[in-house]
Amino acid sequence: MNILQQVPRNALVWMVICLFALVAPHAGRLPVWVLAVYVLAVIWRLQVHRGRWSFPGRAVKVALIVSSCAGIYASYGSFIGLEPTVALLLTAFAFKFIELSRRKDAYVLLFLGYFICITEFLFSQDLLITLYSLLNVTLITTALVALHQPGEHQFNRGTIRLASVMLLQALPLMVVLFFLFPRFGPLWTVPVKSHAGKTGMSDFMKPGDVASLSQSDEVAFRVKFDGKIPAKSELYWRGLVFSRLEQGTWSVLGYYDVPIKERRANEVPTQGEPLSYSIIMEPTQQNWLYGLHYAHSNTPGVMHTSDYRLFSPGPVQVEYMYRANTWNGPVVEAELSDWRRKIETKLPPAGNPKTRQLSKELRASATSDEAYIDLVLDKFNREPYVYTLRPGTLSGRDTIDRFMYQTRRGFCEHYASAFVFMMRAAGVPARVVAGYQGGETNPVNKTVIVHQFDAHAWAEVWIENKGWIRTDPTAAVSPLRVELGLEEAMVAEGSFLAANPLSPMRYRSIPLLNLIRLRYDALTYRWQSWVVGFNSHRQLDLLRSFFGEISARSFATAFIGSWALVLIPVAISLFRRRDTFPVSPADRHYRMFCDRVALLGLKRQPGEAPGQFALRAVAALPESSDQLWQITNLYNELAYEDANPPGERSAEVLQKFCRAVARFKPDRRRRPEEDRVII
Amino acid sequence: MVNSVTSIAGLRSIPDRLRGRFREWVNRRIPAAREITLDQRRIFIFPSRVGLFFGLCLLVMLIAAINFENNLSYGLTFWLATLFVVAVLHTYANLSGLTIRALRAQPAFPGQQSEFHLMIERSKQREHFALYLKWPDSSESLVNLVDEDRVVVQLHMAVDKRGWFSPGRLLLESTYPLGLLRCWTWIDLDLHALVYPRPLPSTDLPGLATGTPDGAAALVVGHDDFYGFRAYRKGDSLRQVHWKGVAKGQGVLTKHYTAYADRSVWLDWDLFPGAGTEQRLSHLCYWVLEFDGRREEYGLRLPNVVIQPSVGGKHRDRVLKELALYGKEGRKG
Repeated sequence: MNILQQVPRNALVWMVICLFALVAPHAGRLPVWVLAVYVLAVIWRLQVHRGRWSFPGRAVKVALIVSSCAGIYASYGSFIGLEPTVALLLTAFAFKFIELSRRKDAYVLLFLGYFICITEFLFSQDLLITLYSLLNVTLITTALVALHQPGEHQFNRGTIRLASVMLLQALPLMVVLFFLFPRFGPLWTVPVKSHAGKTGMSDFMKPGDVASLSQSDEVAFRVKFDGKIPAKSELYWRGLVFSRLEQGTWSVLGYYDVPIKERRANEVPTQGEPLSYSIIMEPTQQNWLYGLHYAHSNTPGVMHTSDYRLFSPGPVQVEYMYRANTWNGPVVEAELSDWRRKIETKLPPAGNPKTRQLSKELRASATSDEAYIDLVLDKFNREPYVYTLRPGTLSGRDTIDRFMYQTRRGFCEHYASAFVFMMRAAGVPARVVAGYQGGETNPVNKTVIVHQFDAHAWAEVWIENKGWIRTDPTAAVSPLRVELGLEEAMVAEGSFLAANPLSPMRYRSIPLLNLIRLRYDALTYRWQSWVVGFNSHRQLDLLRSFFGEISARSFATAFIGSWALVLIPVAISLFRRRDTFPVSPADRHYRMFCDRVALLGLKRQPGEAPGQFALRAVAALPESSDQLWQITNLYNELAYEDANPPGERSAEVLQKFCRAVARFKPDRRRRPEEDRVII
Repeated sequence: MVNSVTSIAGLRSIPDRLRGRFREWVNRRIPAAREITLDQRRIFIFPSRVGLFFGLCLLVMLIAAINFENNLSYGLTFWLATLFVVAVLHTYANLSGLTIRALRAQPAFPGQQSEFHLMIERSKQREHFALYLKWPDSSESLVNLVDEDRVVVQLHMAVDKRGWFSPGRLLLESTYPLGLLRCWTWIDLDLHALVYPRPLPSTDLPGLATGTPDGAAALVVGHDDFYGFRAYRKGDSLRQVHWKGVAKGQGVLTKHYTAYADRSVWLDWDLFPGAGTEQRLSHLCYWVLEFDGRREEYGLRLPNVVIQPSVGGKHRDRVLKELALYGKEGRKG
């Protein structure tokens, strides 16, 4: 085999490290047998290295490929989607390692490794994952360096140093490229995640759904307000509007459930300056976005539905950033169409007779719809209704009747659901709204962090001339929930994150832990807004704030300038002439002396002893003979008698020697004889 | 008609002419020298085939980043692209500052391998890895300069014709550290191997060389007289070792023959009448080796060259060199 194609053992070890480091973050998403393939691959290749086993033959390779394809199909049910594709890639990566015999194979393996780093980002762009990927890239690069160090027969930890240095030198260039490279939309559609679990609110709601969501301390989204943060009790993040009640389940009207002429949201007359904020959502694999009432977004790609929600055409697969404006108190949907009125007052034909009866009676006793709302809220407030995370199960028929008259224990969705039922039973257009309420203000960077346990459901009622008005029956039962949040509302019950004992949210009372948590969250926000959420709009803003006006010239200047700023010092550090050995002062002066003699055309030959050189020099420059011999003798004394312990004497000689060299200034006009001969 | 022929001939020779031009340009840029220190005039750098493949991979990554609108994928792609840029400097630095020195080339007979000795020395304390050396038809060598400051490299190459053999331009290349870029140089080390004539046996020395000034005879037939044994010395021919004695455990003794001074031989150009130049030289070469093996004195007489009879390795080399360079231009040290 060509000597260039050999794979040093050091490189092999680094590749094994890469193999496991790369598969580790994917491990949770992969079937267990893929991990077994990795262990098998490494054992097989190492046995080949030790000469025990042989490389797989063609038939074995085909069998491995076919069986792993079959395995992936069996595990995922298809080859379509991101997860099976990545699993296939990772399996191929392990197989490539088994048959790695030459340098060429190693290139394929390592470049595939870089690609696997990218696939990890398609699943998560989390800060920790990113840091881990930095390590992975360094490991792959180290293996690449080790591949080009022939004769390294032992594992060498030091190989990582050069790889890290090179990557660090490349890092600033990458940052420039990252912010300057134009961003454009996808060229074609790509496989999407097909197996990721959906998180957050779903598009239907049964009693108990929100309560179970409230057990999670995961972050739903983070909000940054341009101005002041509104009071917590005003932060109702609308996400879903449930207009349909069927068999005890509230659900959202689908796009095709709405008649064509009703599909566009009506114009909302807005006045004054809006409240502006940007939201970064964590991936949910669902389409809805959140905003305050009434929200409008100018971010391209954000759509508005006819029930005034924000909506993303594709599911939110990665951290997604958008901006929204909210106006206070506009009349939303002043005119209610017949279709809309019908849909928003519709109830199942039968069931819950007691509640229906009660509604009719209460409405009859009230003078207006608004007075009726107050009566219902007053009932919740006055009577012994309990706001609890442990409402017990309500199943079967007439659940609302049983809740209203028997259990009287419920979480927000019970109250919202019962309230809207009563409104509709009295002919008042109303609907359930689900989303989040409140949020934690991070004092570090003034963002509002909304967690899953802030999930909430409330109601909207349509009032003549006022449009849709938000009404929260939960606030009538437990004002604490709206003003302070779930944790305070559940203090007595002690049920806040009861199933989640390790959640950092439970240790907010320990100041240090809390500070660390908040700082890390602020870092995450910054990361998400600057790196993950960076897009063409942010790019334009950034470039404008940097250059004022964007021109090709300023672009080129920034590009070339920043690169030069990095590459020139790197080049200098690489090419700076340094002597192999530290030069002693005596040697330095002797070289100076030789250079001066060389100016006269008499060059010291490589390996020529100082004495020999002096002989030649004296022959050519007889009039400087004394000086030449003095310098040579002193140098010999310094250079060859250093076995004696250095003391007063050697320092004295050195001084004398240096002075002698300094005094030696031969007449340049006088060219020695030898020179002429050479010419 | 004539025109078209010349134009076709002109067309055909374009690659040749280009190659010739390139050779001239390289000759001008890197003139021959016994010792060459590599600097920016002498080092060429270009993406290697692996580097182009890497570029293709980066393109795929960029497309993935664009299609998934994934900023971290953009970041990684750019990081690897800029790593490539940084690698240009590092690959270049692996060759820069190296000094290549021609040490010597062993003389050889046609068809044999000559051994060329080179020394690579670094000028500053940095590690150099995977320096690949090769002449167009020679063996190859891969060396590192890690702990030592200089390393001697031996390359072997088959030689063919009598005279000075020039191995051509030495290729020194390296793709260290990442293999993405190939950095190389073509240097002419002014190193030449002496190629002796091909020894060609002749049954007998066919005539008597007469007319020598000192009257020495040239006819030599049969073997010398056996004189006695002496202890083996380094350098004695193994053919003369008294192997039977060795087998009997008498120690290593060398059979010693006497060669009389007046029986010294003149190997004369005129000994082979009617033969061509190369044939004569080949025959002479054969007899030189023959007499050298017998440790007999011999001298050489060529037109313009006379070497007095003597014996020993130095003498043999001198005689062989004369034979090798007979009628050749450009004698080199």
